[in-house]
Amino acid sequence: MFDDDELLFSERPEWSDVTPLEQYENLNPLAPIFYTDEYKDATNYLRAIVKSGEKTKRVLELTENIIKQNPAHYSAWQYRYETFITLLFPSSPPKPSKALATNPMVIAELALMDELAVRFLKTYQVWHHRRLLVALTRQPRRELGFIKKSLEADAKNYHTWSYRQWTLAFFGGAGGGGGVAVESSDENDIDFEVGEDLWAGELDFVDAMLAQDIRNNSAWHHRFFVVWGCGVREGELDRERISKRELIFVKQHISFAPNNPSAWNYLRGILRHTSTPFSSVAAFAEPYTSSKESISRDNIVDLDNPRPGEGAELPCSEALEFMADVHEAKTTEEGVNSAVEIWKNLATEHDTMRKKYWEHRIRSAHRSLNTATNAA
Amino acid sequence: MSDQPSTLLSAFSRKAHAAHCKLCLSGLPASQIDVDGSRLALAFYCLGGLDLLGVLEEEISPRNREEWRTWLWTQHAKGKYGSGFRPGPFMTGRDPRISLQDPADYTNYDTPHLIMTYTALLSLAILRDDFSKLDRKGIIAFLRCCQRQDGSFSTVPGSNENDLRTLYCAFAISNMLDDWSGVDIPQAVAFLATCRTYEGGYGQSTFCEGQGGTTYTAIAALGLASAVTKKEYLTRSEKQVTIEWLLRNQDDSGGFRGRTGKEADACYCFWCGGSLKILGAESLVNSEALATYLSRCRFKYGGIAKAPGESPDPYHTYLSLAALSMYPPQVHDGNSTSETWKFGVLDPLLNAREETVAWIRSHVPDRKVHS
Repeated sequence: MFDDDELLFSERPEWSDVTPLEQYENLNPLAPIFYTDEYKDATNYLRAIVKSGEKTKRVLELTENIIKQNPAHYSAWQYRYETFITLLFPSSPPKPSKALATNPMVIAELALMDELAVRFLKTYQVWHHRRLLVALTRQPRRELGFIKKSLEADAKNYHTWSYRQWTLAFFGGAGGGGGVAVESSDENDIDFEVGEDLWAGELDFVDAMLAQDIRNNSAWHHRFFVVWGCGVREGELDRERISKRELIFVKQHISFAPNNPSAWNYLRGILRHTSTPFSSVAAFAEPYTSSKESISRDNIVDLDNPRPGEGAELPCSEALEFMADVHEAKTTEEGVNSAVEIWKNLATEHDTMRKKYWEHRIRSAHRSLNTATNAA
Repeated sequence: MSDQPSTLLSAFSRKAHAAHCKLCLSGLPASQIDVDGSRLALAFYCLGGLDLLGVLEEEISPRNREEWRTWLWTQHAKGKYGSGFRPGPFMTGRDPRISLQDPADYTNYDTPHLIMTYTALLSLAILRDDFSKLDRKGIIAFLRCCQRQDGSFSTVPGSNENDLRTLYCAFAISNMLDDWSGVDIPQAVAFLATCRTYEGGYGQSTFCEGQGGTTYTAIAALGLASAVTKKEYLTRSEKQVTIEWLLRNQDDSGGFRGRTGKEADACYCFWCGGSLKILGAESLVNSEALATYLSRCRFKYGGIAKAPGESPDPYHTYLSLAALSMYPPQVHDGNSTSETWKFGVLDPLLNAREETVAWIRSHVPDRKVHS
């Protein structure tokens, strides 16, 4: 009994009609790879198939074999996709359609991609191929579920998050950027699973990711993308309310874990995006610059200005940096002096890694103050 | 931590690191099969490492260098999308008719690759090729075929695989050829702007999270474009935000991380460090801590790994050397140790040693036009 997978292609009777084509190398190549026999064998057949232009079912088997040995073999992926399309649309040009989602070939291909995506999470091509398939089947909701599951294996995987952003932008109807332009004019296709409601679960999804790891910057970035970066959806049109909601959200998360650069970056991001001066949240940030002992422990819960939690490590260098920016922006001598005080503190104690940078901030603040004074 | 005196750095064993590069050039184990579609990039990291160590001439015989040039030219291919370089022969069948004199013809499945074309030009310059075989017009045509409607560039013609790396390579190639007629700069820059994030970094593509590597490609691409258009693409405050984000990525280990909250990795010492240098902020980097981190990434038998205790590879070895070229540690020990930490000066925009860039300037542009 032979498992077909363990036979070389050169040993398989059903491939005996193909003459394998060996790779060209001349005498002294740079960085030659000592291929395994299995890889040499399979790629010999791929080169032969590509040359003959055959696009049949067995080509799917061959390219799957190569991809499993080398998931970054982009030519094998490309030829696989073309073969797949040829088999799927034998007599008409490729066209996206909802019916494709129940086609056994498509189901099998997506199942294989589910398996390979987890196995080769960091390979671009796996995700690229998936985009091409989903642009045909137009079933983005399944993808959001799959992405959620695959982030369990690697919560910060760059490709996985990029794919989620692409899926939402491409199918969600708002500002869809790069991607595959496949449009359908068929009236029957109107009920494609696309539209704004695709976004409905995104903030809950971000919340769940941040509940697992409040420092997951990919989740913070995703929140920015959903709220600010890719169009405005029904229910979010009152931007003032949204700003307020987001500020409360980020402040609360800072109070849970003050030393979290991702949350501070998000705070700065919102303020810049909405052209709100940093000073508007000074009352919030200030307590995070104090040392632990000096924080007064009253029981007033102020949603606008949540205090650092009990065990917080203070002062927090992000808060110090933030408050220095607030002081410097006053462009008064007093403001600059307060900022300089904080920068000195950062340079000598709380963020010595960036000593040169804080010293630079001190010099340039003095310089602009002098220029302003001289001009006046 | 940051004030740790760098005199503690042990001698940089240049021979061992050169040996790592040479070993990888001579062959890679089967475990590296996934490099098959990007072999030219790996070769560039090895050759670039030898170049920065300043040992190419003494370590590699003239005959060997000649053979390597010949091999690189066999990846030069021409066809309906113009000319460029392939990643290696992984899709090229053995064919006795292959000629070494002219670019070979390609099919739809072994076209030139944009990133590989960039690394091939750098590698040939490191090997001091005279570029008499270069099909300059063909390369310009190839760039045109790779640029997409949204201004971005695909890795190979017709592919949807596009990101800021390819855009940078298209700009770098135009700069090397001193001919920008193959790219639409305003469209490309408009695409690049959509990759900017609220943190100040750039994502791999539109909507993606800011990342050190793609931020380098964005900043370097803008630098290359500025040099020819004489335009400033970033406002003062945009620059400021990017500089701050980059500097915040130097973590307590002294190494740089690629994204907020991630671990430091040797390659980001180059990607972030190079971006800061291009932005004129190199004096703000803690170069002592940087060198201390990279010294801990050294593998004792040669080569540099992404983090202490990991296995070395040419990518991290080259980028670490490139980072050290820009940020050499001050070693005041009065003995030979300090000499071992000196490397060739790097051009941060093209990511190559200055002498190599000078060679490119005098050999890659079309002399008929520019003489």
